[in-house]
Amino acid sequence: MDFSAFLDGFGVVTQPGNLVYCLIGVVVGMLIGVLPGLGPAATMAILLPIVYSAHDPVAAIIMLAGIYYGAQYGGTITSVLLRIPGEASSVVTVFDGFALAKQGKAGTALGIAAIGSFIGATISIIGLTLLGPLVAEFALDFGPPEYAALALLGVLLVATIGNGNTVKALAAAAIGLLLATVGSDSFTSADRFTFGSLNLEDGIDFVVVAMGLFGVGEILYNLEERHGKPHVPAAIANIWPSRKELKEAGPAIGRGSVIGFVLGVLPGGGAVMASLAAYAAEKRVAKDPSRFGRGAIEGVASPESANNAAATSSFIPLLTIGIPANASMAMLYAALLVVGVTPGPQLIDERPDLFWGVVNSMYIGNLILLLLSIPLVGIFVRILRVRPAILAPITALITILGVYTIRNSVFDIFLMIVFGVIGYLMKKTGFEPGPMVLAFVLGSLIESSFRRSMLIFDGDATGFVTRPISGTILAFVVLVIAFPLIKRAFRRRSTPATAEAAASEDAPREDSLR
Amino acid sequence: MRKQTFSLAAVAAGAALALTACGGVQTTAGGGSDSGDYPTGAVNMPVGASAGGSSDLISRQISRGLSDELGGSFPVINREGANGALAAAEVAKAPADGSTISVQNASLFAITPLAVPEDQVTSIDDFDVVQGVSRDDYVLVASKGSGFDSIDSFADADGKVTYGTTGVGTGAQLACALTFNVNKTPAEAIPFDGGAPALTALLGDQVDTACLQVGEAIENIRSGKIVPIVVFGPERVEFLPDVPTAQESGLDVEVAQYRFMTVPKGTPQDVQDAIAGAMQATFETSEYQDFNEQNNLTPMEISGDEVVAQLEEDKQRYADLVEEYGIDLGDAS
Repeated sequence: MDFSAFLDGFGVVTQPGNLVYCLIGVVVGMLIGVLPGLGPAATMAILLPIVYSAHDPVAAIIMLAGIYYGAQYGGTITSVLLRIPGEASSVVTVFDGFALAKQGKAGTALGIAAIGSFIGATISIIGLTLLGPLVAEFALDFGPPEYAALALLGVLLVATIGNGNTVKALAAAAIGLLLATVGSDSFTSADRFTFGSLNLEDGIDFVVVAMGLFGVGEILYNLEERHGKPHVPAAIANIWPSRKELKEAGPAIGRGSVIGFVLGVLPGGGAVMASLAAYAAEKRVAKDPSRFGRGAIEGVASPESANNAAATSSFIPLLTIGIPANASMAMLYAALLVVGVTPGPQLIDERPDLFWGVVNSMYIGNLILLLLSIPLVGIFVRILRVRPAILAPITALITILGVYTIRNSVFDIFLMIVFGVIGYLMKKTGFEPGPMVLAFVLGSLIESSFRRSMLIFDGDATGFVTRPISGTILAFVVLVIAFPLIKRAFRRRSTPATAEAAASEDAPREDSLR
Repeated sequence: MRKQTFSLAAVAAGAALALTACGGVQTTAGGGSDSGDYPTGAVNMPVGASAGGSSDLISRQISRGLSDELGGSFPVINREGANGALAAAEVAKAPADGSTISVQNASLFAITPLAVPEDQVTSIDDFDVVQGVSRDDYVLVASKGSGFDSIDSFADADGKVTYGTTGVGTGAQLACALTFNVNKTPAEAIPFDGGAPALTALLGDQVDTACLQVGEAIENIRSGKIVPIVVFGPERVEFLPDVPTAQESGLDVEVAQYRFMTVPKGTPQDVQDAIAGAMQATFETSEYQDFNEQNNLTPMEISGDEVVAQLEEDKQRYADLVEEYGIDLGDAS
């Protein structure tokens, strides 16, 4: 690494003009992040012309990058307060975040999320600075078989994160996998469950499913509840997390950041897997896993650190090998082309000012975001004091607008309402939407990666085991399944005398099996 | 206090609404059919691709040009889905007064019909083609690890050669499938969801070869990480002067993606002329020319009638080739 170029990069960022653009970028990003649907990619497309007219194109690139990672901060707010996750990578935040909000601890949840996001992103930028090209090579070793194995591990983790009945969680996950098959088969273009509608040709969008099952389902459920008891606004005792809570969340933030950085490098599904793996990891190391889903602070801290770290490390494939990992990165790719730079292996040598200017702007941008979050958390939590009779229609409006903006489709709005009814019925009957949504996201990844692998292997499935990375992941899958079983068998044999101890062990043991 | 919190929520919701409005501007005012003063209101430009791809970027560039030349606004609306068929259907049934125009892809009309069921085929007859825009060439590239460096080197392949494509029913798939079939090389297609994942797989040596758009592959070709074999255009690509065309390498394979401006069938001729005139003026600007160069696009600024003739010819030629070699692009065809 060229250290003087790195320092010169800070010189680029601290020019007042660039700082202003960075500030505008992260603020816009945060605001659009709050609104589900209108994602960073669409916003960047609208603002792309600024790259032409800006006095300094580097400043405009800094701003566009700011929109992207700023949006990651904003996305948490609706997940925690209104139970509407705007992105697949913030679904797991809903479980404990919304539970905390219901207990009047929305401020704690948002505060921890902001701190975790900041630390996760910063660790990831340091990783990007020092190890960028190295981890990019790692991403290239990830072929279809590795993605298939990773997604399989993901589905297994989905089954562990639910907090209710395991059979019901598995049933919901199975329906999620089935939903993922809707649309034109991407290998043969045969139609599957489209019922002749072109609107279903590309499958169902994640946002449609998530907003329906979580957001609209919750609204419907509350409408029914409301007649039972008068609305008591949750007492918002603490806006900012206490020292004790910070201490609890610290290790979770650390683990989440590392998991997020590593998995975020993988284009396609990296961020979802990161938040999911981070949550599952916390649940496994926790002394009392039953707290999860009922307002465990680590359940917010870890996935939020992970998804921000992943968002940051998704810059690595773009900046070092010229591959845009997602739609937002594709917009940044386009913006770089306007400046006359084709992102790729040469970027760091040809335009060190641009490379380090953008990378270093992220240190500062994240700091700005953290400072902005502190007063904003105090304002946002007051939304919870609004009476449900007023809040519910506003939430409904946000979900409808959000879904419409994805691809300007009225069909999607109706589809979301259908999912809303399903979400309501699921809640009534004790099914959780979490496993269903996550399995839905992983379903297409697992299917297409598996089929791609089989084509590459020419039909010989042993390749999954003999390739080092996929073999390791699959061994890990087996371990995750087998470990609790072995532990249980071992315990049963060694402690036959103390039935009381066995009984007290029962709850966590059951849980670890999930 | 209650009042204050409510107004806060209202402000938040209001801000959210305002932001959403920016996302999908839907202005009802139509374009005028009276000559001379087109457009009279905002003109929608649906594009059948998501933000960030070349179709989207080209639409946005044209939108800027039209807006500069004609005044008024030409908002680009991403209406992705079904290879562009959703956006096409929307344009086809829009009022034929110039209030809805769209830059569309040749592949939707010439290649996609080979892969999808009959009832999903989009016909060019539903549109008037106003003006050609630009061509986006495909290139066959091999990974370093595969050892391939020319069409002839495929003769030494042991076992099947794998080739990544950018999806089913795309020009990339057709180009690669034709190449290996005409050359009689046993090969297996591995479809990916777009160019970026296919390139990633190629860089990681997961597949031997891939057909990609020149713009997607060029930087890694220049840095020597992947090896270009042939391009599929009618002549060599300006940006890769040393790479032969498939024709030069002895294969009768020519596949190109090109884009053109369409309006609903029956749009008044003066409106069409106004759009074509403004586009031609845009093509002259250095900003537009730089854009083409940055994105490795070859200008194809021919008239609408020429575009239609080219489309009909390509469609027939592809269909004949696919039949001759017994190629199956999609099981549903």
